[in-house]
Amino acid sequence: MSNFWNPYSQLAIAQRRLLGVGSVVSVLLIWTLLSVSGLLSKNQLPSPLSVAQAMSYLAWYEGKSQLAVATLWSVGRVGMASLLVMVVGIPLGVLMGASPRINAFFSPLIDPFRSAPVAALLPILVMWFGIGEFMKIAFLFVGSIVYLTPLVRDAIRAVPQEYMVAAQDIGATQWEGITKVLVPLAMPRIMDAIIVGVSVSWTYITVAEYVNAQEGLGQLIANAKRLAAMDQVFAGIIVIIAVALLTYQALMWLKGRFFQWEAKA
Amino acid sequence: MSNTLIEATHIVQEYSQPNGKALRVLDDINLRFDGPSINMLLGPSGCGKSTLMKMLGGVRPWNVKTPTSGEVKIDGQRCDGPHPDAVMVFQQYANRPDLTVRENIMYPFRFKEWSRRVASEEASQRVDQLLQEVGLADKRDQYPAQLSGGQNQRVALARALVLRPKILLMDEPFGALDTQTRAEMQGLVIRLHAQYPCVVVSVTHDVSEALAIGNRVIVLSTQPARVADDFQIHVPQPRQAAWLDGAEARVLHERVLSHLRAAGARGNIRVTV
Repeated sequence: MSNFWNPYSQLAIAQRRLLGVGSVVSVLLIWTLLSVSGLLSKNQLPSPLSVAQAMSYLAWYEGKSQLAVATLWSVGRVGMASLLVMVVGIPLGVLMGASPRINAFFSPLIDPFRSAPVAALLPILVMWFGIGEFMKIAFLFVGSIVYLTPLVRDAIRAVPQEYMVAAQDIGATQWEGITKVLVPLAMPRIMDAIIVGVSVSWTYITVAEYVNAQEGLGQLIANAKRLAAMDQVFAGIIVIIAVALLTYQALMWLKGRFFQWEAKA
Repeated sequence: MSNTLIEATHIVQEYSQPNGKALRVLDDINLRFDGPSINMLLGPSGCGKSTLMKMLGGVRPWNVKTPTSGEVKIDGQRCDGPHPDAVMVFQQYANRPDLTVRENIMYPFRFKEWSRRVASEEASQRVDQLLQEVGLADKRDQYPAQLSGGQNQRVALARALVLRPKILLMDEPFGALDTQTRAEMQGLVIRLHAQYPCVVVSVTHDVSEALAIGNRVIVLSTQPARVADDFQIHVPQPRQAAWLDGAEARVLHERVLSHLRAAGARGNIRVTV
């Protein structure tokens, strides 16, 4: 146990997996015990078994998969919003990071919302854009871009000045300094910003799909809640967490693959 | 003077201080550099020798006008910014962590300035030749993080020399290296300088290094810095241990140290720019 409080010690993969599986199993165990003990009613805490049944019902029933359809809709919305956030937020963050003037101008429009509840803007977005698809994408966009942009700016600013000085010494123009020095060196951290942006979209998807629920995992959960089908609510939440986790893992894998030099540096 | 490469006249550098008074760091410095040579610039910590060295190639920190007054002429032209014929080697190498050794040496040609001046085949050929000359041909595909300090500094030297600069500026290039590696690097600099003749201006803390590779040694005083001494060493390179350990070198060593001691006695305010 001498390594217990050593933050630099490396765990064997087997040990790490064992502990990870152990934590999930513990939660399932406590959950099962609580639900069979009768301390909580079925409407407060459905049993793991009934959640599993609800999951299988949602996954396939009478030739239809509600879950697949809902997941595709949600993935589509998060994907669309994330794409727009990247197209707008990355260039904006790069420019803000590269020029204190641009930063001073845009910062008051973006930074406060990092600590303000973006969900509070939902009524305004409904007023402006109605209750259709556009509003949902706009909401995810606003919610996510206020996180991504400042992180991209900080990524650019974190590039040590020596690289710019050295590049200018060998003739780099100011624009080349941005595109050929700052951006490539900031890429691993920009990738982190993208990961945060996509994750934030996944946390807001339920809120976005709550209004005028038609399709999507948020709607599935809201609907189940209205029908007091707690097992389906749980099933929906588990799927959202799973998809968000999968997205995160995929992006981390991409980052590791494309920016190997960062791990070495 | 038609063959004067760098001419610095009446160089004065001042920085504004919090109390509103200007702090004069460099005071009326006049220096001329003609043909290819290795020039070692010495002075107490914080005397402004780095600032002066950068000025000689037009390298400047952000938002600071250098020099405050006086002028630097390169090839007879007044120099107010990074000069295309002057390239600098930094103490911390400034190698890009995301590029391999070869890409790092090829790096200048990514910028229009140099891709315009040198055709890509020619550039590629120069890079491969320098990889050989600095002894990193077998490391060409590795990343800087996988190299030692000395190897990283070789990359930085090679990157400067692929541009065939007329002026090579070095800011304590071997300051971060151990004694053994430093000796190897000094030998390398002498060999490369013979291969690629240019005016080298190198800042150093190390008097022995100055005597080992310098054709000329310039010693600055401090607060404000003036040229305290400026002498040539005509002993051919590479210099043998017999000379380096001999009486002449000892006298020169003592001569430089006495200037540094005299300057050091005048206070120890550090100026970091």
